[in-house]
Amino acid sequence: MAAGVLTKGLCGFRQPRIVAAGYSCSGPLYATATAVKTLPLQTDSTAVTDKIQNLPLETPDFFHLSELFSLKDLFDARVHLGHKKGCRHRLMEPYLFGSRLGQDIIDLDQTMAHLQSALNFTAHIAYRGGIILFVSRRRQFGHVVESTAGDCGEYAHTRYWQGGLLTNAPIQYGSGVRLPDLIVFLSTLNNVFQQHVGVRDAAKMNIPTVGVVDSNCNPSLVTYPVPGNDDTPAAMELYCRLFKMTINRAKDKRRQMELLQGLSPPGLTQGSS
Amino acid sequence: MAALCKVVAGLRTGACVFPKRAIDICKSLYSTDSEETSEGKAVEETQKPAADKVKSGFAAAYEQHTDLQQRQNQTGTTVRLGSTRNEKSFASLLRNSPLMQMGPAKDKMVIGKIFHIIKDDLYIDFGAKFHCVCKRPTVDGEKYQRGSRVRLRLEDLELTSRFLGANTDTTLLEADAFLLGLIESKDAKTKE
Repeated sequence: MAAGVLTKGLCGFRQPRIVAAGYSCSGPLYATATAVKTLPLQTDSTAVTDKIQNLPLETPDFFHLSELFSLKDLFDARVHLGHKKGCRHRLMEPYLFGSRLGQDIIDLDQTMAHLQSALNFTAHIAYRGGIILFVSRRRQFGHVVESTAGDCGEYAHTRYWQGGLLTNAPIQYGSGVRLPDLIVFLSTLNNVFQQHVGVRDAAKMNIPTVGVVDSNCNPSLVTYPVPGNDDTPAAMELYCRLFKMTINRAKDKRRQMELLQGLSPPGLTQGSS
Repeated sequence: MAALCKVVAGLRTGACVFPKRAIDICKSLYSTDSEETSEGKAVEETQKPAADKVKSGFAAAYEQHTDLQQRQNQTGTTVRLGSTRNEKSFASLLRNSPLMQMGPAKDKMVIGKIFHIIKDDLYIDFGAKFHCVCKRPTVDGEKYQRGSRVRLRLEDLELTSRFLGANTDTTLLEADAFLLGLIESKDAKTKE
């Protein structure tokens, strides 16, 4: 299946990178152990890598993501339109502004705050070289999602989700498979109004999720829910564009930081933001 | 708008945010809900000219301009016109949106645009959450191409129904509309 090819591809591509960079979030010890094979300067590189890793954490909006979208943009993309009152999920009631002639209206003030934190989290994951998987089972938007993922150098899965994709990965795809570090759900539902299996599986595998939840979705298992419309093409294109710009911005920032730290000697550097 | 207030009041059990919103919405109305707000404002309304009470168009524009002027006075020299326009609250954007101004969707005339065609099925987007699907009419059938603008008579914004034994409504993810006819392409060219 396409999923198998995808994960195999990423397995083969990403492993050298894992060896070189190391999981700095788990501590400098692992980084030094793996860095022996590739980098000549061990202690200096770990200090510099730590500095690069931790600098964005000091400011709340390091990547200036609030300038990417505004309330008017969300409103024009019809993000505030929800389903009918009868389709409403009980847990979505806090995110609703109200109901107009039977149609639920999502509160865009809350959506702005949730979208800001979701994009910020995505940017930090991309900055640290994490793998991001875009998931959507809406056939109408499958192509948009896949092209978005391709444009920002990340991965997408818009086809049938095999049961053990995350939970049974070592057996299905071989041992040593690297699972995604973030899963972005552009629609958390399957076609039959069941929740997508990936939401539950990501929670089982401790993978954080960002999800666009409409008024008929269950937001409880999603780490960073973004209440919003997931049925209109304008809204989906807006989300895809925002995620693409966020990830590209974060990756460019990382490259810029690495260049700066690489050129100037460690210890003297003051990271430019 | 009375329907909105009644339904919002019914949601009060869920969260405490709604009463505040309902009050904000009720206060900002002046066209038809004079009965609800008249208790507190009867004296002021008799003194105001008749134009403010009857028509919401002029009153809305007047209030909008006075708000802008007040904001400009408050912020002083560092005023950017773009930011004042963007600082419109969600509630005011929503209230002035065509979807709210339209009211119930039944038998409303709208203009839609065809964005997809599969043989005789035309997928038409008219600015709501969902699109509608209409059959290609027998009259002037070839003129209905992707990008054509058409006139529709709306029936429903979303086709939903609660079936026996179900917890939630089943939705078709489609709106329902009756196709009236094409808007002449010459008019569209002169508009654009």
